[in-house]
Amino acid sequence: MEIFALFDCIISPACLLSQATGGLKIGMLLFLVASGLTLVFGVLGVINFAHGALYMLGAYFSWQVMTLTGHFGLSVILGSLGVGIFGLLFERTLISRIYNAELLVQILLCYSVVLILDDLVMIIWGDEFLSSVGVPEVFQVPPLFIFDAIIPPFHLAIIGMSFIVGIILWFIMTKTRFGRLVRAAAVNPKMLEALGININFIRAGVFMLGSFLAGLGGALAASVGSVVSGMGNSIIIESFIVTVIGGMGSISGAFLASLIIGMARSFGAVAMPLFTDGLMFLIMVLVLVIRPQGLMGNKKK
Amino acid sequence: MKKLNKYSRRDILKTSASTASVFALSTGFPTILKAENNIKIGVPTILSGRVAQLGISVSNALNMAVDNFNKSGGLDGRNIELIIRDSRAKPDEAARVCRNFINSDKVDAIINAEASGASFAVQEVIRESGTLCLHTVSETTSLTADPSIRTWNAFRFSRQGIHDAVGSAEYAAKLVKEKGLKKWMSIGPDYAYGRDSTKTFFDMLQKFAPGVEIVGQGWPKLFQPDYTEVITQIVREKPDAIYSCLWGGDLVSFVNQAILYDTFKNSELFAINLADYTTMSAIKNLPKGLHSATRYVAAWPNTQDNRDYDKAYTDLYGDHPTNWSWETSIAIDYLINALKETGSTDNKKLAEALKGKTRKSFMGVGEGNSVTIRNNDQTLVDYSIGWGTTIPNDPFVKDIQSVDWNTIKELEKEWLINKGWL
Amino acid sequence: MNLLKKDNFQRDVFLGLLVWFMLIIFYYILPDPGIHDIIQKVFILGLFAMSLNILIGYLGLIAFGHAAFFASGAYTLGLFLQSDFVLNLAGFSIPVAIVLAVLVSSILATLIGVICIRLKDIYFSFLTLAFQMLIYSIILALVNITGGDQGLMGGFPKPPFLGIDLGKPFDFYAFTIFISIITIVLLRQLIESPFGYGLRMIRDNSERPAALGFNNQKHKLIAFIIAGSIAGLAGSLQALLDVGAYPEWAFWSKSAEPLFMILLGGMHSFLGPLMGALIFEILNDFVTANTRYYGLVLGLVILCFVLGLKKGLLDWLLIKLNRK
Repeated sequence: MEIFALFDCIISPACLLSQATGGLKIGMLLFLVASGLTLVFGVLGVINFAHGALYMLGAYFSWQVMTLTGHFGLSVILGSLGVGIFGLLFERTLISRIYNAELLVQILLCYSVVLILDDLVMIIWGDEFLSSVGVPEVFQVPPLFIFDAIIPPFHLAIIGMSFIVGIILWFIMTKTRFGRLVRAAAVNPKMLEALGININFIRAGVFMLGSFLAGLGGALAASVGSVVSGMGNSIIIESFIVTVIGGMGSISGAFLASLIIGMARSFGAVAMPLFTDGLMFLIMVLVLVIRPQGLMGNKKK
Repeated sequence: MKKLNKYSRRDILKTSASTASVFALSTGFPTILKAENNIKIGVPTILSGRVAQLGISVSNALNMAVDNFNKSGGLDGRNIELIIRDSRAKPDEAARVCRNFINSDKVDAIINAEASGASFAVQEVIRESGTLCLHTVSETTSLTADPSIRTWNAFRFSRQGIHDAVGSAEYAAKLVKEKGLKKWMSIGPDYAYGRDSTKTFFDMLQKFAPGVEIVGQGWPKLFQPDYTEVITQIVREKPDAIYSCLWGGDLVSFVNQAILYDTFKNSELFAINLADYTTMSAIKNLPKGLHSATRYVAAWPNTQDNRDYDKAYTDLYGDHPTNWSWETSIAIDYLINALKETGSTDNKKLAEALKGKTRKSFMGVGEGNSVTIRNNDQTLVDYSIGWGTTIPNDPFVKDIQSVDWNTIKELEKEWLINKGWL
Repeated sequence: MNLLKKDNFQRDVFLGLLVWFMLIIFYYILPDPGIHDIIQKVFILGLFAMSLNILIGYLGLIAFGHAAFFASGAYTLGLFLQSDFVLNLAGFSIPVAIVLAVLVSSILATLIGVICIRLKDIYFSFLTLAFQMLIYSIILALVNITGGDQGLMGGFPKPPFLGIDLGKPFDFYAFTIFISIITIVLLRQLIESPFGYGLRMIRDNSERPAALGFNNQKHKLIAFIIAGSIAGLAGSLQALLDVGAYPEWAFWSKSAEPLFMILLGGMHSFLGPLMGALIFEILNDFVTANTRYYGLVLGLVILCFVLGLKKGLLDWLLIKLNRK
């Protein structure tokens, strides 16, 4: 462990700033994916193990749109919308059958979908990884220098966009009728039904939104990362970590936890480059032992 | 039953062909069709998941050679039959697949196209059974260099970590002197191959160019999607040069993400695994002037034989060969030759025929364009190792310099003695 | 605490030995090593799945980090047999190594169990997962001892003991199945004992047993330790078979395998997970021989079980038989 390296970094504005923006970007991309996972769990009570596979689909869909149209914005929007629609079908055909099933059944159903999708994308798009979608031309410019820290404008765009999505999500959940219904559905679905509200509609809507967020994360990740079968398998574990640390079902918790994990990754790479993964699991164990409901979770499930 | 008659034989053949493409590389299925006296070769490899390309390019290389052999009459009418099975990159599956080859399929030899972890599992199985085994993928030096792991019936036809390290360091050292590349960093995948490759490279570099300084090392996980934290580290340290043994999709992601930071303006990249066709063609706007070893490119070695190999392969499969293809091609060529020479499938005789053998090869840079299976450690030497710089379009690499095998062998020996392996 | 029940013990032992003899006769009737290989693995993986089912089926706790104990058993056995102790112990090496493997796994299970059993539901699952991944990270980090991601390399000796030479295929086959059957018979005793019924009671209603002066936590912990120890035994047998140990055995996807087996075979019948292991292995053998889209096929099969049968095959069969 190199405590001094960490100390040196924190007192140097250049290092502090570049690591912090790096961590912010990692954290915000993670937040997009994890917020969908935690939303689905909070409202539907389902641990969507296939959330990472949806993220992968987002990357493939946006790659496909990019190949056909060559338009970056379109590829991100259509890619993630496509995953939203896929999620809707997935919810209606499979997930809706297991709302009251045991945890084991939920996990296995979702995991089987992961296995199937991982192979399907190889059948459709080939075995070899696909090149990244690429950064839009506007951002193909030299990086910014702020206090000697080097910051790519594209990262700022990703951070900004994730913030906006987070705010929209917050707005939907707290200020709109749909959001109020969703929150009510999380607490007492029976009551909503008694009031004549179509609970299936709410559930499908939430799952679609969750899938859309996973797809958006994947589509953005595809801009600079290669697209490959199984790419969701590491993000799903990280999303679980975020969900647990933040509190299961809490979107604000997911936001906080994503920032913690992003910074832990970024500054962990300076202080203990060999144990950044172990560090994340250690934080997860500690949170579960000391405060199982997570940082922002309610005491009751 | 009646319904079946509606379809002509042709239709059925067509359907079965399309089924076969879904059940690609189907093995062991139509057992009735197989002649009993075939020479059987078992091939454990990875056909699924994200390194499926490995097994596919290995299978292609094998099929190409075996089809030719069988068409030309085989060994006194005996054909070679390949049994290729997927281990899904799991060591215990590889061991099981291998035991099945030996016990149930009664194979005459095994061509092991597994990655490193599983290769060690295969090594243990064939050590117990005494089956002839040709490794064609694992680059981990210890597999054949460490006497406690080596076994009489195993041969290595893949490139070996230590050879590449010497070759890379020699090339890099020239540029250190020319351009004054003092400060170095590394970024390598956090697993045995990444660590070995990085460590031996720097060990060797210190020998050729004493005084270079390592200012930082990044160890992202294998298949990590986001390299931001490592790249910010690089950008902060501003090294003169970066050594990387990332490969495949990981390397592509890293280069694409590093471009955002203008990383390669100030730091020269030495990426040993860059010059494979799939990797280079996948990088958006491949920057000029990155350094790479020639894993496999048609342009190097610059001979008609090599271009012919590339063309034959590409004509058949619509895709360029990979590094794994040439390794496997040489292995099967050696095996076929040993079969012809001994006229038998006896593993002891075949092993004797392979040992110390020198053969002409499209990848050979030894005397008369040959490669050799060394006698003492049963490992391939004198294969082409070149380094050059990238250009955005075909042939992707230019200014290729070849590495001198005398230097490699000399330093390899010194290194082995240090390790206590010689 | 009463861990054994007396009735049926002799019957179970007799049945167990009978199955063992039949499988040995089978060895000679069908001299196909490929099939022997599958049978051995079914027992090894069956032990692994049955140990997990103590927690899932009888206690209702979905442990998602069970492979940690499988791996600890495998690594303990491998490291011990690679050490110099073998030179002194010679003929006793393998029995000692197996006992040690079980012991180390049980200690690990105690340490992890004490912390995990305080949590319920999904939180329990996540904590076991987190611990397993920590252990995986540690195996990768301790390269000098474990060989890192390449696993234990170079094999290890298997000195004969009591006339049993595990280097010979028949000896290995008979030995593995014998050990597995003994363990299964003992496990059966445990499950049918008052202790075992205590577990079911905790599963069905955790408040009532506590009200009856029953120590829930102690019961859960003991069950967790026993499950971990048997997983360790399974891991040590697997290591003996492959003459090595690999970090993949500690990764979370390895923990998913026994879950599949439990689903395929059934969690409510004692031998369900063993049956699941049989289905899993046959599927594995057949599918990998014919297509490289293993995940696709396995996924579809699981989907059919989850949505179609809604229970494991053995559970389903037993319900059908009872109805008649």
